[in-house]
Amino acid sequence: MRPSRTSYPLSWRLMDAVEAIAAAVWPRSFSAAVPWLMLMPAVVLVGLLVLGLWDMADGSFRKLDTATFLPSDDYSLANYDRAFTEKLFFTVASRSLIGSLIVTVITLVFAFPYSYVMVRTRSTFLRKFLLIALFLPFFIGQVVRAYGWLIILGSQGMVNEALGFVGVAPIRLLYNYPAVLFGLVQYMLPFAVLMLAPALTAIPEEMESAAGSLGANWVRTFIHVVLPLAKPGFIGAGLVVMTLSLTDFAIPAILGGGSQDFIANAIYDQFFRTSDQGMGATLALLLVAVGSIMVGVVFALFGAGTLAMGRSK
Amino acid sequence: MKGDRSKAVTLWGFVIVALVMLSAPTLVVLGASFTAGNMITFPPEGLSLKWYAAIASATDLRDAFFRSVIVATICTAISIPTGTLAGIALAKYRVRFAAGVQIYLLLPFTVPLIGSGIGLMLIFGKWGLLGQLWPVGIACAVINLPFMIWAVTASAASLDPDLELAAANCGAPPLSTFLAVTVPAVTPGIITGALLMFILALNEFLVSLLLVDARIVTLPVQIYNSIRSIITPDLAAISVVFIAVAAIAIALLDWLVGLDIFLKSK
Repeated sequence: MRPSRTSYPLSWRLMDAVEAIAAAVWPRSFSAAVPWLMLMPAVVLVGLLVLGLWDMADGSFRKLDTATFLPSDDYSLANYDRAFTEKLFFTVASRSLIGSLIVTVITLVFAFPYSYVMVRTRSTFLRKFLLIALFLPFFIGQVVRAYGWLIILGSQGMVNEALGFVGVAPIRLLYNYPAVLFGLVQYMLPFAVLMLAPALTAIPEEMESAAGSLGANWVRTFIHVVLPLAKPGFIGAGLVVMTLSLTDFAIPAILGGGSQDFIANAIYDQFFRTSDQGMGATLALLLVAVGSIMVGVVFALFGAGTLAMGRSK
Repeated sequence: MKGDRSKAVTLWGFVIVALVMLSAPTLVVLGASFTAGNMITFPPEGLSLKWYAAIASATDLRDAFFRSVIVATICTAISIPTGTLAGIALAKYRVRFAAGVQIYLLLPFTVPLIGSGIGLMLIFGKWGLLGQLWPVGIACAVINLPFMIWAVTASAASLDPDLELAAANCGAPPLSTFLAVTVPAVTPGIITGALLMFILALNEFLVSLLLVDARIVTLPVQIYNSIRSIITPDLAAISVVFIAVAAIAIALLDWLVGLDIFLKSK
């Protein structure tokens, strides 16, 4: 005799019903498509972004009609022509590119020792302390951090007040190029350390001991063993720092005070100051292109490093 | 090993400079929020909690904070199922065109924020959705989705596929297997990802700046607008709210999955 089905707990019967519905809606013969079904929501979400890019592409071919202040109906390459010939855009673009290169180098120089000490230390307390010191600024957000720098570096800020005590006249520490670069390095440091750390964890400590017992001092061990093995981490970290600082808005806006605009600030101004949507879209698309080419070239040359998603091959 | 001392000194030199750089703004904002003066000066003019009282009664700051929380909640609620399913699919199945799908899903990461923000602004503007909060939440989910997917794939990679086969072998239908075996295995990734998404959306500045209007500013935008005029200590006090939320998130992360998860190699 079969026992009565009512003796099953409610959750089982509920689950059976859900399974039955799932099996009816999605028969087993469709199982090859299951991964696609699972990917669908993400594909739709990112699709919004693609639609946005498409709209920008459309807008970038429309010149602003100076008589009506509306984008023109016919397409032309006028905006692209302006983007490559006008001196203002060249200045902003080269300032951002050079800035992001400098920021990347300085950030990696500081991120590597930090990451190395964090990964190699035997003290769990120290490791946790370094991790928290890293995550706190990362989780606080750019605006609040930039606000902290304004308090420290402002003309009546802490540094200048302290200098005043020893009789030094106030120095202008803010609203210049070094201030922006400094702010960007501080902003990027957590990203770089977090991208480097897994690569350093993957290097067996015995490798370093082996190099040491073969007579290499620590500098040579770093140069010939640790740095080459950490290459995937450096690629990931360098790429992230480079693209994020190249395209940053808040730090140049707040610490640069309008005089040190990066590309993102120029794009914002095109949309909200000059109301030239077409020009803004053109600049934004060019920035997207530069960013994607940079990522593409690095991936093609070195592989995705620590940035790969999905199956580990 | 030879030269251990010089190694330690060099490394620690860099680490200490980095620590000062990382912590200085946080500490200064904390200190400034307790000042008794009406301006931020150094050294501070005594201690008081008056600026906390001031922000408690400032409705604009409080409203902006709650709007940020709503945006972060919407973003997290959307990205947990979306990112989890996509992450598991990428990590577990041999998907056709996997490389193409990966590149596509990495788009929010490779497209600069200003580009994504303006693209979404144009789209939402065309559909007449600007001036509401939920599109800002969706936008935050779009731009940060790769973080969620990374977090999930990282923990899905450590799931032994035999476990799912074993469950199926014991008679578990596909959905039950998924809920009882697969999802628990990637839970650390889901928690990490969800916390990241919440914090990133709470702090999201540029995309908020592009998508909000004067009636629905979020807190980072509100602070940005204020520091451009005059720096008063009430901003320091409201910034401490961000610091507190960040500290809570770190404590949660450490307690639920352990911060060491970020040091693991793939």
